Amino acid sequence: MTQERPSEEKPYRRLETQALLQQIAFRHGLEAMEASENGNLAWVTSGFPVEIPIAMNLGVVYPEQAGAIIGAQKIGPEVSDIAENLGYSQELCSYARVSIGSTEKPEEVPMGSLPTPQILLACNNICGTVLKWYDAISEMTGAPVFLLDTPPIDKVQLPHNQEYVRRGVERLIEFIGSHFNRTLEEDRIREVAELSNKATRLWIRALESCKNKPSPLNCADRFLTMAPVVSSRGTEHCAEFYESFVEEVEDRVKNKIGAIRDEKVRLLWDNIPPWHTLRFFNILASRGVVFPADTYTHAWTGNMVGVDTSSILDQVVGTYSKVYLNMGLDAKVDKMCELIKDYDLDGFVMFSVRSCKRYSLGQLVSKEIVTERTGVPGVIIEGDMVDSRLYNAAQIETRVDALLEMLM
Amino acid sequence: MNYEGVVEQSSVGLTELMKSGEEIFGYIYPHVPLELFMAHGLIPSLIRALPGKAGGFEESLQTFACSYIRNLYSQRANGQFLTLAGLLFPGNTCDSLQNLGDVWKVRFPDDRVFRLTYPITRYSRDDSTIKFLTEELKLLSENISTTFNRPFLKESYERAVELVRDFRDSAQFLYSARVVNPKIIPYSDVVRLVRAFLTVPTIASASAVKDAATMVRNTADELGLLDTIEVVSNAIRRGDFSEVNLPDDLETPRIVIAGGMVEPQAIAAIIKDLPDISDSVIVLDLLSFGFKTVFTESPSESDDPFAAMAKSVLSAPGEPTHEGLSYRMDAMKGLLSNFSIQGLIVCEQSFCDPDQFEAPSIERAASGLGVKTVRVPLDPELSDRGRIETRIQTFIETLE
Repeated sequence: MTQERPSEEKPYRRLETQALLQQIAFRHGLEAMEASENGNLAWVTSGFPVEIPIAMNLGVVYPEQAGAIIGAQKIGPEVSDIAENLGYSQELCSYARVSIGSTEKPEEVPMGSLPTPQILLACNNICGTVLKWYDAISEMTGAPVFLLDTPPIDKVQLPHNQEYVRRGVERLIEFIGSHFNRTLEEDRIREVAELSNKATRLWIRALESCKNKPSPLNCADRFLTMAPVVSSRGTEHCAEFYESFVEEVEDRVKNKIGAIRDEKVRLLWDNIPPWHTLRFFNILASRGVVFPADTYTHAWTGNMVGVDTSSILDQVVGTYSKVYLNMGLDAKVDKMCELIKDYDLDGFVMFSVRSCKRYSLGQLVSKEIVTERTGVPGVIIEGDMVDSRLYNAAQIETRVDALLEMLM
Repeated sequence: MNYEGVVEQSSVGLTELMKSGEEIFGYIYPHVPLELFMAHGLIPSLIRALPGKAGGFEESLQTFACSYIRNLYSQRANGQFLTLAGLLFPGNTCDSLQNLGDVWKVRFPDDRVFRLTYPITRYSRDDSTIKFLTEELKLLSENISTTFNRPFLKESYERAVELVRDFRDSAQFLYSARVVNPKIIPYSDVVRLVRAFLTVPTIASASAVKDAATMVRNTADELGLLDTIEVVSNAIRRGDFSEVNLPDDLETPRIVIAGGMVEPQAIAAIIKDLPDISDSVIVLDLLSFGFKTVFTESPSESDDPFAAMAKSVLSAPGEPTHEGLSYRMDAMKGLLSNFSIQGLIVCEQSFCDPDQFEAPSIERAASGLGVKTVRVPLDPELSDRGRIETRIQTFIETLE
């Protein structure tokens, strides 16, 4: 792969709305600090039904996002080291390691350490690691952990699974209620659900715009702009951001402006990105490679429409149980095949993330099935999303080159 | 008998049963209701990782897959698996086993793969976990009935409940007796008997455990230790150690082995082979295939069988995959401080999230009590056996 061009004529186009994103991140950070100082802050996992704590007027922050920020600053190894010195193995999830490290020594991680939580809200629909990670944070901070257990489902969610998760959601409301002495008001949950739904619909609209040629967004664009839908869905400023974002994306589509200047090959990205090396996508952009779709940012596409608290909670149960990582290999393969077909993609790159067993184990098998079903080739590259020590750029370059030789 | 010998013997027992026409149903996660399979006329057998070098996983699993699942997959890929009627994977325990089940179905399409999904919640203060698992067990039972044309027979279930209870009562007695006097029976003998039963749960293997318990009971009676053993057994089951009063002349050092799906027999063999060290230093293990299986309550006869089995499974001492780290640490601290333990060996399967996340908490909890710890990373092949032995030997010597 060639190096990224340093000149003004970069092979990719920067989004105007990125400036807004920085404002949102800044505002979100201030609100989180204030919530923590007022004894109102919850840490939540990315697949958690965040609408409930928001509707119960808690501030929320998202440690996986903090992990991404630490990764992007290229300080993952140093922050991991802090956790490793506390006894946490280097073989564990790097999001968890940097979260533990930055909680232990926040002064060493000015951007990426989170304000002290009052409660820790984990949902295991994305992986089993989150519970153990939050347990470790709980030991360090004294904040109690609430687990919303969403047992994996196979194709359909059976009634007993639904009932069990529903009871979990009710217990969540009881837990927050008793911890902070408050109740879930119907008007408020309806308002939050509507805002969440609005943001999600706008997000889906932006994602689906990438079916166009040229694609208005590349992988790195989506990885950056997904932050609000992950961490702030259910708030007004989140919905407002996506209104501006969609406007810019659709303007690009209307004027046939691509995310990269010379789109030649369209690929699918699978898994979390290497936050420390997002320029990977820009380097490929200079060769005409764009990623109009990926499995990661398509994870936040569930809807929550309801007329009252009860029906909204039913939606929460369905939406958060049916995250495709909670539905096994078949669902993941189906999703990849569907994206390849719908976005007219030429091939796919699977990032085998050493940290993330739930996402990555099974890729060797799914690669074969996806190629068999779609007829497009794919390649697996290995590394880590935050810990750059586990990322071998030369090896990855060789593998991606081999794929591109087939396609160009 | 060495570890490899024990493994070989278990396998021979299984093969003989299969030759006699019995259908064997393999399971991987230890907390399954054995009674359910037996009620369908099947013999449940715990499938475990095997020692020795294994390869063959590479086409389907990355190197960062947990060493346990790599070993299981390699066994199957290399044709080392017995022909099983079915194989049960756990759902919602750890990510590696969850994904292995999916990979297995694709790679070995002729295998009859089943899944039992567990609730992770443990402290809901309602019956939601029992209800969930009860339904899962009913579904599994229906699936088995349809696949094998073997209905759930109440009489077979009742016999199974009795058999497994006999095993557990005896095994619990042996475990408790060793807490009071670790020399009363070698640890390696106890875990060999437990292993034999979990591999082939028959009247013969249950009788072997019962016979050993009778022998130990007689010795304990002669030594005047029976009452103390009973108190210890009750204390472990109830988590209340207020009545425990161990003899004053306990031999030291006294150590506990902590960890997850680590083979107790393998650890016993390593310690037994160390020069000048006897396995009587091991007072107790807290391993999944040992203590946590043994100290699971038996199903109650008064309940509906499926609800009773669900309650039984959920009564197993907590695994790191479950909710409740603080409860587990409190339970462990109760055992360490009330059983006069000086050292704790923490076994960690390589690339095992649950083991590796729990280990620092275990270390801190033990350290708070003044109990020394050593962490031993290992894999089922014991590929680094020399280093493991040195680490354990040095640790035990520091306690003496």
